Amino acid sequence: MNINALLDEKSIFIPMNASDKNSVISSMIDGLAASGSISNKEEYMNAVLTRESTGSTGIGFNVAIPHGKSKGVLKPGLAFAKLSAPTDWDSLDGQPVNIVFMIAVPEEAAGNEHLQILIALSRKLIDSDFRDKLMRIEHADQLKNLLAAI
Amino acid sequence: MKKLLAVTACPTGVAHTYMAAESLIKAAKEKDIPLKVETRGAVGVENEFTEQEIAEAHAIIVAADTDVLESRFAGKPVVKVPVAQAIKNPAGLLDEALSRQASAPGDFAQQVEQSKAQRSSSRSGPYKHLMTGVSHMLPLVVAGGLLIALSFVFGIEAFKEEGTLAAALMQIGGGSAFALMVPILAGFIAFSIAEKPGLAPGLIGGMLASSIGAGFLGGILAGFLAGYTAFALKKYIKLPRNLEGLKPILLIPLLASAITGLLMIYVIGEPVKGIMDGLTSWLTGLGTTNAILLGLLLGAMMAFDMGGPVNKAAYTFAVGLLASDVYGPMAAVMAAGMTPPLGLWLATLIAKNKFTKEEKDAGKAASVLGISFITEGAIPFAAGDPFRVIPSIIAGSSVTGALSMAFGATLRAPHGGIFVLPIPNAVGHVALYALAIIIGTVVTAILLSLLKKPVEQRLS
Repeated sequence: MNINALLDEKSIFIPMNASDKNSVISSMIDGLAASGSISNKEEYMNAVLTRESTGSTGIGFNVAIPHGKSKGVLKPGLAFAKLSAPTDWDSLDGQPVNIVFMIAVPEEAAGNEHLQILIALSRKLIDSDFRDKLMRIEHADQLKNLLAAI
Repeated sequence: MKKLLAVTACPTGVAHTYMAAESLIKAAKEKDIPLKVETRGAVGVENEFTEQEIAEAHAIIVAADTDVLESRFAGKPVVKVPVAQAIKNPAGLLDEALSRQASAPGDFAQQVEQSKAQRSSSRSGPYKHLMTGVSHMLPLVVAGGLLIALSFVFGIEAFKEEGTLAAALMQIGGGSAFALMVPILAGFIAFSIAEKPGLAPGLIGGMLASSIGAGFLGGILAGFLAGYTAFALKKYIKLPRNLEGLKPILLIPLLASAITGLLMIYVIGEPVKGIMDGLTSWLTGLGTTNAILLGLLLGAMMAFDMGGPVNKAAYTFAVGLLASDVYGPMAAVMAAGMTPPLGLWLATLIAKNKFTKEEKDAGKAASVLGISFITEGAIPFAAGDPFRVIPSIIAGSSVTGALSMAFGATLRAPHGGIFVLPIPNAVGHVALYALAIIIGTVVTAILLSLLKKPVEQRLS
């Protein structure tokens, strides 16, 4: 099982032209809906925004990982956006964000391999070499090659 | 080398939990600190700490926005932060954890207290009900037993003279407090099962067990019978809404008491009385060999799980027998419950190189718990090194139990540690009894100092 199975072309945005955090989130949710991972956009959006309100998902190093667990999610999914302009995300380190991974998790999902893959991605984001490569991505293919190596 | 533990968790459990774990692992590698990270995320608990690891850890980092069963870390220094903090500043967290001091001996008693509280809250089912009954019965046994002992100050037969203080004390202790023992035991077992509607049938069943002569065994049966009967009636009787109010106040007490009472009189009472009579006469006429065997068994049970179900089984057996005027097992059980913490304390004095500084401090606190008959004082030591500590304390407690039985020591109070020894007549053969406790303590300490490894070897 490869992480790219969770990442549909329709939910990869390189680059994304968005002005603020909320429009980034709603564009990415549209992508996840188009790729068939989300059935109820509003419910999932609520879960994501609730998560943001308990503490920003801007983890620092110019990366954010908005995510939500919701009944509005059909199957685990991943969306990626490289923002054309650095966007404020109330990050832990106060820096604006260029790279956004959005993670969608169904309400009833314990211990399956999709989750393991998303977890592996989360762990990988701590690795600075991996992040440097993410920053340099220009095409969906490059992203897929990089993620395939996880 | 100081070892650290960290546990990470977040509400969604796919992102921050694992990024925090990864950050901490990376920072620890750079600083060359041994660190294990437990993650509690959407795929469940991974890398879960063992009790041994918790015991050996210098400090624990909790980077979590959800519950991570922190009670496991009782007595350990805990650095608690939101999960994001571990991603932002893992190195700072590690430094802070390393700088924390291990718990002071003052916290040790608190730690024991916590583990006791945790155990009682995790009890469930019949064991919980029985313990509820026993804990409500205990004050009656303490007050009754000691007042009877005081009446003997005026002479062992003094209470037979009416109008004397000795007779009054006997009337309070023996005639009233002890008479309530079995009914209260049964009543609160039933109360624990069925709440208020269970209490009356339980008390009545217990009273019947007492008057029939079925003793504490009959009382335990009556309590469960009354409790489950009341519980079933509460659940299965359906009344029209306007009559529903009659159920707890009229129907359940009436029916449950009738059922329990009739069963006690016609079915259960006689056979249980037979068992109780047999047990009592066997115990009072015990030959030395059997007395020693019983003492060995009760002693081993007291030390085996230090306040857990096996320990409580031995304890309940001994306390119940007080109601039938059998005092030997009570003495053996209390003595055997005192030696584990006392033995550990003595071991920290004679085998200094085998205990860490923290353990030596904890030993002082354990000595206080030991003389107060709080066997749980041995738990923190046993948790850290179970395969060496538990056999040692079982051996010491068995020896003490056997000696106490062999010396014919008796005890009229169910608790109190060394503080009941000076009360006149509370303990029979008090000097030999004290000797039994001392010998068991020494046996435990010698075994511990032979079995335990020196500190340097343990940590490497």
